[in-house]
Amino acid sequence: MTCREAIEKLAEYLDAELTPEGLRAIDAHLEVCAPCRAYVATYRKTMELVTKVCRVEPPEDMKTRLHAFLIGHIAPTK
Amino acid sequence: MGRYAARLHRLALGITRNAADAEEVVQDVFMTIYRKGESFEGRSALGSWIYRVTINAALSKRHGKRREVETSIEQHLPSFDQSGHREGSQTYVLADWSENPETVLLSAETRAILDRAIDSLPDHYRAVLVLRDVEDLPNAEIAEAIGESVASVKSRVHRARMALREQLTRHLGQRT
Repeated sequence: MTCREAIEKLAEYLDAELTPEGLRAIDAHLEVCAPCRAYVATYRKTMELVTKVCRVEPPEDMKTRLHAFLIGHIAPTK
Repeated sequence: MGRYAARLHRLALGITRNAADAEEVVQDVFMTIYRKGESFEGRSALGSWIYRVTINAALSKRHGKRREVETSIEQHLPSFDQSGHREGSQTYVLADWSENPETVLLSAETRAILDRAIDSLPDHYRAVLVLRDVEDLPNAEIAEAIGESVASVKSRVHRARMALREQLTRHLGQRT
């Protein structure tokens, strides 16, 4: 397996979607390829950073405005 | 409302990259849900439909306000030599910045680089990245939401992550 082939399968590797043969092939490549080990570690860390940086709660005042907007537009009229 | 408001806001913000636009998108989406949501049955179908409405509204808002700049993601993908091995200097190819302390990885400087990298992704890549890595939706549900194949979703998510990783490595790889 080449670096190109290993990196192409990386997302499926991390999602545990590869066949046992595919998994063994990547593990064997990583065993001997330092650049790909670094690639896997930094790819995985990139995913973590995206989650940490982007998974934020909306500001409270936005929720308040949304609530008021919905009350104003869809509340039943008497 | 609470169940979806935060998720839809993150998705809308991820696509529009503008807080005020994202807020307007969420308001529009809730109005659409109110007007048309009763016709949907089944939790999964409704969820996918809501995401689809949000993506379309956010894309429309972004395109309406900003002239679309076709960003090539190719320039940020790893390159390989003819034998299939990584190209580039050894220092760069071997850079493993993943063990850097959180103070560096989550510093304002790194956040700004990540933010710019996300911003530079084509819109349709950014949408699936947010759904997969921020909202943690399964590939199949994302595929249903955007009306494309699971293979297409997997490919976009993978390429988006590689593009971000490449730009982070240019910054963080020099510190290792």
